[in-house]
Amino acid sequence: MNSLQIALRVLKVDRRTRTSAILTAVGVAVATGLVLLLATLPFATQHREQRALWQGDHFYSRDDGPAKLMFAESKDYFDGKQIIRVDVALAPGATTAGVQLPAGVPQLPGPGETVVSPALGRLLQGNSAAQLGDRFGKPVGALGDDALRFPEQLVALTGHTPDAMPESASPVAAFPSGKASADPLLMLLSWVGIIVLLVPSLVLVASSARLTAARRERRLAALRLAGATPGQVTNMVAAETTLSAGIGALLGLLLSPALRGLASFVPWAGGTWQAADFALPVGLTVFVVVAIPVLVVLAGVLGLRRVLKNPLFATGGHTKKPLRWWRLLALPAAGLFFLYAVTTASDSGGITMVMAGLFLLVGSAAIVGPWVTSAVGGTFVRIWRRPSSLLAGRRLRDDPKSAYRASAGIVLAVFAGSMALTLLPTFESMAGGGRSFQDSVLYVDTDTQHAGKIVDQANGSLQKYGQSEKAVAVGEVYLVQGEGRERSGQRALVMTCADAVKLTRFGLPPESCTGGPAVFSDSALDLASYKIAADWEGPAVAPKSGTRVETVHYPDEDLSRTLVIDPAAVPAGVTPERVTVVAPTTDANREIVRTALAGPAAGEEIGSRDQYLFNQQTELGDLRRVTVIGLIAAGILAGCSAAVATAGSVMDRRRTFGALMAAGTPVRVLSRALRMEAALPALVATIGAGIVGVLVGVGLYSMVDPRGIVVSPWLLAPVVLGVGVALLGASVCTPALKRVQAEPLAEE
Amino acid sequence: MDPNTPQWTNGPVLSGRGLVKRYGAQYALAGIDIDIQPKDAVAIVGPSGSGKTSLLHVLAGILRADDGQIFLAGQRIDHLGEKKRSELRRTEFGFVFQSGMLVAELSAEENVALPSLLAGLGRKEAIDAGRQWLSRLGLAGKERRRPGELSGGEAQRVAIARALTHRPKVIFADEPTGALDTRTGRDTMDALLGAAHETGAAVIVVTHDRELAESMPKTVAIRDGLIATRLAA
Repeated sequence: MNSLQIALRVLKVDRRTRTSAILTAVGVAVATGLVLLLATLPFATQHREQRALWQGDHFYSRDDGPAKLMFAESKDYFDGKQIIRVDVALAPGATTAGVQLPAGVPQLPGPGETVVSPALGRLLQGNSAAQLGDRFGKPVGALGDDALRFPEQLVALTGHTPDAMPESASPVAAFPSGKASADPLLMLLSWVGIIVLLVPSLVLVASSARLTAARRERRLAALRLAGATPGQVTNMVAAETTLSAGIGALLGLLLSPALRGLASFVPWAGGTWQAADFALPVGLTVFVVVAIPVLVVLAGVLGLRRVLKNPLFATGGHTKKPLRWWRLLALPAAGLFFLYAVTTASDSGGITMVMAGLFLLVGSAAIVGPWVTSAVGGTFVRIWRRPSSLLAGRRLRDDPKSAYRASAGIVLAVFAGSMALTLLPTFESMAGGGRSFQDSVLYVDTDTQHAGKIVDQANGSLQKYGQSEKAVAVGEVYLVQGEGRERSGQRALVMTCADAVKLTRFGLPPESCTGGPAVFSDSALDLASYKIAADWEGPAVAPKSGTRVETVHYPDEDLSRTLVIDPAAVPAGVTPERVTVVAPTTDANREIVRTALAGPAAGEEIGSRDQYLFNQQTELGDLRRVTVIGLIAAGILAGCSAAVATAGSVMDRRRTFGALMAAGTPVRVLSRALRMEAALPALVATIGAGIVGVLVGVGLYSMVDPRGIVVSPWLLAPVVLGVGVALLGASVCTPALKRVQAEPLAEE
Repeated sequence: MDPNTPQWTNGPVLSGRGLVKRYGAQYALAGIDIDIQPKDAVAIVGPSGSGKTSLLHVLAGILRADDGQIFLAGQRIDHLGEKKRSELRRTEFGFVFQSGMLVAELSAEENVALPSLLAGLGRKEAIDAGRQWLSRLGLAGKERRRPGELSGGEAQRVAIARALTHRPKVIFADEPTGALDTRTGRDTMDALLGAAHETGAAVIVVTHDRELAESMPKTVAIRDGLIATRLAA
């Protein structure tokens, strides 16, 4: 009988071995499925970006031959949603036939025409032309999926004549093409995810294997005593584990399309995914499907070293060495290293040191965790009042390593989650701010040449749409001192005091507008020592005489280096080169005003606080989402591990518990003791990991901003998760005990 | 009143009448009548599969009989629900199993105290009582040892102490010496019977060990689910 035949026979006759094998296979399947999914993420973002490559202006080459197109890319916004806008015009002399269209783009729109994505098409149908449609032109076609970053992406490919193209347009030989790269943030997160989710998956595998560990070790010891060589025993275990791990890996492979399907609904960078995005190269798929079971088999074989060393151990028993106090030093040592790395990172640019510190901290948990588990157990043993505390305390004290191991997965997840949840609300509080204009204002940066036309046309449109708001041009000049390299000074917005009161965040009081032309500043200013220049290095002219200086306390420190200067105070000969066209809006007419600006400023980005915040908010939303999903997934896996470990611990002591129940001990009393035993390590580990995670989050945040963190209720999430995991783990106590109770007392 | 109902004045402490236990079509007990008197020490013997362990489990209320009646101190107990039977086992009966079946993580004194603790007694009282019983059974100085640090005989004496600590009316012992050598087995049985006599408890021992059975005051031999012989020493 060879090793495989023995393994199959054991599986056939022993129900517990079968249960363990099934659970091991499930653990391996989950691990394989998760790794296969997480490994696809970089490829998925690459697929997305590849489809959207034509939408960006980073990937075209001017050296590909004579210019056939004028091309400009910008971002528009509607009702908080981003629209990618691509403006094109045929270059003089070029024909449509000479332009190769990107995949999914059905035609090149002519002047006044637009080809839109299906989602934008639906928006155009559901809103008035003044709200949205007038920004683009007449829709003449729909973009296919191959031309979209994600299915619900809002994209408009709008045609123009060359002279109607925005100032930022470039002459190009073809639409942008090339090879897109993966999203680096998602790549980093996928690695973090692999570690954070793989560890609890493997703990689940280990817990499942432990269900029969004692029985298997006895069997193998008996085989060794009967003359089996260490090699033969190793082969038997390898065959047994390969069987369940191999089936598990194949199940994981079958499971992965379902996981990918689910993942395609999770938004990232503004939208969901196409199912085909999550394609993994065959070589990598094979590697994952082979590597995970190999690791599991390796772990199983390594776990045999006691039987291999001494076949009698199983009958003779063995004593466990107490854990040494020095283990406790690992955490402060890693903490000090991390602190040093964080405090010196800004000077030395040592982000590698910070990452190393982070890894050391995570690693130190594996050294400190068992000691803390043992210490908690010891405390319970000293102070117990109920047998449940005594049993739980003794169990933790006796085998802290395995008690901690069951919680290792959740420790890692909670650590990473707490760190992220500490940083996210704090980063969120930093979001905002931005330009000098009020949040409700829309603005377009342009030059003097285009500004007049934009203002006139926008105001014409606003009048046509029945709006009372008016767009104004705000120039930019500099108040400077000294010349050449010695020149210093401040930027000033050229606008009337009344407009500044209405449109800016400077907080100018209306009463400051009386008394003639003025320069408004946050601090006292000796105007006589300043000159005014159109650009930083250009010629400077003294301000008009009679210009007064009005000192106003700005409400926001970020604005302190910007001044406001009345147009009447700007001397002749100084014509601002950079101009911003600014228009006030209300919540009701914001999109109409945007449309009015978008027509004349086609292809130029219309700025607003919404736009300024869009990327920040999208990124923070993505991070928050993946953190919560990761924590929940890790929590469920860790909960399953805890449940399997608890069931294993009941099964290990089935005879003792059976005897206690036979002697009249109620199931609920034993169940209470076991629930505490199962829940305690998870709770302690979770809270500990949560605290360290928050502290590390604070440390990392201090690198970016010396102000304190924002305390958010999200910080309690890990504790809630820990309680959930503990409850899940403990939930199997009563059914497991009832099963033991139902079995004949003497069975083993 | 049922004329078969034994009266508890000075009658048997535990009685079984017409006890039947089936496993499928197989009869483990085929209608057994048995009386156990106070302070009795009865050995139940018989070949493997004869029904002796089933009889012990049915009398103790661990298994429910398919037919027949059981009386404890004159009160019928076979019709009680699992909750009441558990309470009865916890308060009126004591159990000694093969290999002790002690909780490996707990010390000897904690193992002895465990039933009292689970019944709600305070830590100090339960541990003190446990220590006294260990001392009476010759285990003074070994109270803090774990089961793994005790010999087989010592572990069985801890189990005996655990069975006696709440002063039960009947002690059930299932192969208590099965894992011990002859001498240690004899010592253990002496300890059990001595302690039981001291507390007034009756002892029912299921055993394969002919020598042990012969040393007991009464022996009941079971075969094919029926009592084959009753011998009194």
